[in-house]
Amino acid sequence: MTALVLDIVTTAAILFAVASGLLIILGVLKIVNFAHGGFLTIGGYSGLVVTQLGWNAWLAYPAAVVAGIVMGAVVERFVIRPLYDRPLDAILATWGLGIIIGQLITIVFGREIQFVQTPITGATSVLGETYSLYRLFLILAAAAVAGGIAALLNATRLGLEARAVIMNEPLARGLGINSGHVRFVTFCIGAGLASLAGALITPLSSVDPNMGVPWLVNAFMLVLVSSVSLASLATAALTLGGAQVLVSTFISPVIGGLTIVVLAALLLRIRPAGFGHG
Amino acid sequence: MADLTTTPATLPRRAISGRLVPAGSIAGLCIVAVVAGPYFLDSYTVNILVRSFLYAATALTVDILWGYAGILTFGQAAFFGIGAYAAGIAFTYMDFSPQTAVLALLAGLAVSAVVAFITGWISFFHGASPLYVAIVTLALPIILVQVLYSGGTFTGSSSGLVGYNTFDLSVEAWFTICGIGLVVLTTAAWFFVNSDFGRLLIAIRENEQRCTYLGINAPRVKILLMVVMAMIASVAGYAYAGYTVVVAPEIGSFVFGTELVMWVALGGRGTLIGPVLGTIAIDVISAYLSGNLPYVWKLIIGSIFVVVIVALPQGIVPVLKTGLRRLWSAATRRDAAPYVAVPALIEAPEGRRAGTGSDAPALNVADLACAYGSLKVLEGVAFKALGSELLGIIGPNGAGKTTLMRCLSDGYERTGGTVAVFGHTIARTPPQGVVGLGIGRSFQTTSLFETLTVAESLRLARYRLDGTRMLSHAPTLALPDSARRVITATGLDRQLAIECRHLSHGMKRALELAMVLALEPSVLLLDEPTAGLTKPERTLIGSILVDLVRREGLCTLIIEHDLDFVREISTRIIVLHQGKVLLDGSVAEVVGSELVRTIYAGGAHREPAP
Amino acid sequence: MSPTVLDIADLSSGYGEAVVLRNVSLSIRPGEIFALLGKNGMGKSTLLKTVLGFLPAKRGRIKLFGEDVTGLPTHLIARKAIAYTPQEQTLFQDLTVEDNLRLGLRDDRGFAEGLARVSEYFPIVGKRLSQKAGTLSGGEQKMLIVCRALLGSPRLMLIDEISEGLQPSMIQRLTEILLAERKRTGTAIFVVEQNVPFAFSMADRYAVLKIGEIADDGVAGDELAAARVQDQLRV
Repeated sequence: MTALVLDIVTTAAILFAVASGLLIILGVLKIVNFAHGGFLTIGGYSGLVVTQLGWNAWLAYPAAVVAGIVMGAVVERFVIRPLYDRPLDAILATWGLGIIIGQLITIVFGREIQFVQTPITGATSVLGETYSLYRLFLILAAAAVAGGIAALLNATRLGLEARAVIMNEPLARGLGINSGHVRFVTFCIGAGLASLAGALITPLSSVDPNMGVPWLVNAFMLVLVSSVSLASLATAALTLGGAQVLVSTFISPVIGGLTIVVLAALLLRIRPAGFGHG
Repeated sequence: MADLTTTPATLPRRAISGRLVPAGSIAGLCIVAVVAGPYFLDSYTVNILVRSFLYAATALTVDILWGYAGILTFGQAAFFGIGAYAAGIAFTYMDFSPQTAVLALLAGLAVSAVVAFITGWISFFHGASPLYVAIVTLALPIILVQVLYSGGTFTGSSSGLVGYNTFDLSVEAWFTICGIGLVVLTTAAWFFVNSDFGRLLIAIRENEQRCTYLGINAPRVKILLMVVMAMIASVAGYAYAGYTVVVAPEIGSFVFGTELVMWVALGGRGTLIGPVLGTIAIDVISAYLSGNLPYVWKLIIGSIFVVVIVALPQGIVPVLKTGLRRLWSAATRRDAAPYVAVPALIEAPEGRRAGTGSDAPALNVADLACAYGSLKVLEGVAFKALGSELLGIIGPNGAGKTTLMRCLSDGYERTGGTVAVFGHTIARTPPQGVVGLGIGRSFQTTSLFETLTVAESLRLARYRLDGTRMLSHAPTLALPDSARRVITATGLDRQLAIECRHLSHGMKRALELAMVLALEPSVLLLDEPTAGLTKPERTLIGSILVDLVRREGLCTLIIEHDLDFVREISTRIIVLHQGKVLLDGSVAEVVGSELVRTIYAGGAHREPAP
Repeated sequence: MSPTVLDIADLSSGYGEAVVLRNVSLSIRPGEIFALLGKNGMGKSTLLKTVLGFLPAKRGRIKLFGEDVTGLPTHLIARKAIAYTPQEQTLFQDLTVEDNLRLGLRDDRGFAEGLARVSEYFPIVGKRLSQKAGTLSGGEQKMLIVCRALLGSPRLMLIDEISEGLQPSMIQRLTEILLAERKRTGTAIFVVEQNVPFAFSMADRYAVLKIGEIADDGVAGDELAAARVQDQLRV
């Protein structure tokens, strides 16, 4: 029972961390970044590079963030900006980018599955059950990500401007806010977050050039159901992630993999705002 | 009945034979090429091309859905996979025979149709975003693949089904069959998208909302289209399974689904030929190059794809076509103007207006309320309107005038109260249904279809009453008297072949009015019909409107800011202020009202200057 | 100081193909209060939107403080010492009063001082800092956007139909504040209105916009002028 609850909470935490970057990009730029999977992969491979260089495994996380931000800056400038008023095309172009990133990584690192050094290993005892220490760490990591984003949005000038752009871009521009700049910075942060999430999840399995793809679809569905609200994303991660764990445990893992997609599609049909408010 | 032919009678007839001959000859040539192919090409290429033809057929369905109807779908791969697995499973477990072959084909068609119907029903609803259908269609192949994995040995799980008995045909025979099939499909598709119905699809892509206000049940059209395209993809998959004797989850995967979209984008979305040729070209080149440089090739394709989306959204083939056309007209010094079919205008049969002979008032609004969250835009609005009334709706900005029009024409908009048209309440009917009750609404910002001609736009407005052809252009266009009067009075009858985006602003407003009248409404809702017009244009439209109300007995509601204009043409005026009806009375009453003057010109209060 | 704060020459603009403004020319001098009057749909808001760069000018030229700003992106125009109170979509409904005010300045420098100043004008604003702007009444929201505009001590204020829906006492207060601000900083004010008495109670000069063109202009001096303009705007 405890293990099940912990599974649900850790799964929710992971899903939240993975989807957060996609959410802020959707909120501010109003586009869906289908290269998100590619950024996740970049984060994973940053971890691999750190391992191969023999550095401290904890450095994988900052390395991932830096790699993500740099890639994000390039992508925003050359792909996202020209597609400002063509959101469906932005999905396609970012999907193409995801392919490019995957192929580049394959060329540089090879196709095989590789393993990355974890900074935390082993298990610990929680209420009588032994549970992976790393998974518990992920709960902390997700909370830190949530806290960081919230702090950025609510306590900084950039965050205020971002919130203004999310709510009403023309009004924001009329008050002197350079919405193009806000979009650029937000995209970089979103890419950095995606990359960080990639580094966070690799110790759970491994890295391969297409590791980001399965996460992309789930993250995408969660973000749509959250209607641009961090709180709703957390709720969505908990409910839909929980449903996934339950289905995987009691019915079948294969069907479990579909839970989020199916439930989210149905929920959006009934209530287009999902977990958020209009 | 007077035949108001404005174009030579011979022209429409040439339109049809004018297309059949060139299209037929090109198709014929292609068939000859396909039959001759195996004699000129090496067997490896022939082998690849069979597969490419089937992919191209599937890409064609993606182009019709996306390029023409605007439905971005990643799901056609799923239907391909369903067709393929229907064959694979049938031939593996029931052995091969003519009966199982037919059974498998029908099973694939049936399952695809049902899945497509459910997908369409989920995705195309009132207020759905185009993003939602992209999501659902993305989920389809994912779900299919997982179902296949979980099927264990029955479906062959991740390795699939191999080596079953199949049709006893040589590679060359398959080549010929699939090639001819592709040519026939492409030709039929070409006639389809270049028919009146094809223009309807494009209209739905450009401005679906406007289509619903013309009485077109856009969701139903899209669902039907999805079902038919799914069935075609299923047949392609069936042939694929019969030919390659292997069915594996990859052929129904979302990677394949996104590849299809990529090929269509690269070839040129909305061109039919582009996706077909593009798919064949890319597939053949991939087959040759992927042996040597597998990852680099995918990298190249991915990069070209991104560049095309960003810089050349119409795709590669259209760019080539434009270039070729320029070279051709430079060489021959002639302008190759595309042919445009112009129908002859005829009179529409009488007596199809809703509510004729009914005793109930044309419009009966009771306790109407509309709120967005806590913001109350309309509150307690109530009035009755009869035929032969021209109701001017005036009020300061933000008073709720356009919201009122929305609530009268769309059953989903209001949050409280009732609206009844000739006694029928509109309940929660979407706009296409409210049009059926007799309401015709024009829009404040001209909401026309950019690439459609004047004639095609008018035909759209007649879809609900006259239907439309699926494989050709009808030679005539029936319009009611009122619409024809607007067209002739404003000179639109001489501009039937002009695309809407090239019309002047005044002409656009005239066309908007004509389209609404073509619906044969009983209640006209006009939202600022004279906005942005010059004085002479305004006078013209005004006289047309007054004429209409007197002759046809149409109940008309008109929102206007030009108060002189409203005063001249109205029989009654309703003043809205902060969402409530301030005054409802004759023109004289409203003009003479102190209250109205206060809210408009700011005041009986004369503040002393500081 | 440049001879004009705002100089519009031969301006034509509109939405898409529609031409709403035709060959409009006017100029506003430093410290002047200029009223642009006209009925609904005559192009007043379109003029302000074009000045701010929300709409591209089809013809003509706009100069702010002597600098040609025609065609500049909105956010750059908005950063020149001007303040704009739009007619619609004026506030971020879900942000607090304080956050809305903060956005009236480019950064937080001078916010405390500015807040103290505008709170004196409208004490209510100072008391409701942490409330969401959308929960304020219509009149209070208008006061809020005036406060936001005054925070940065602009040299030109562009005010779009602010008196609409306000009670007479509020209108009186607004007039007092705008005149006081003009006295304090020498700011010019471009008032776009349908409310003739309100406009004339402050304005030095006026113009009337009719179907996109200037139909009348002059000094906003006497009762006669006011009555004549009132007539032109009659229902």
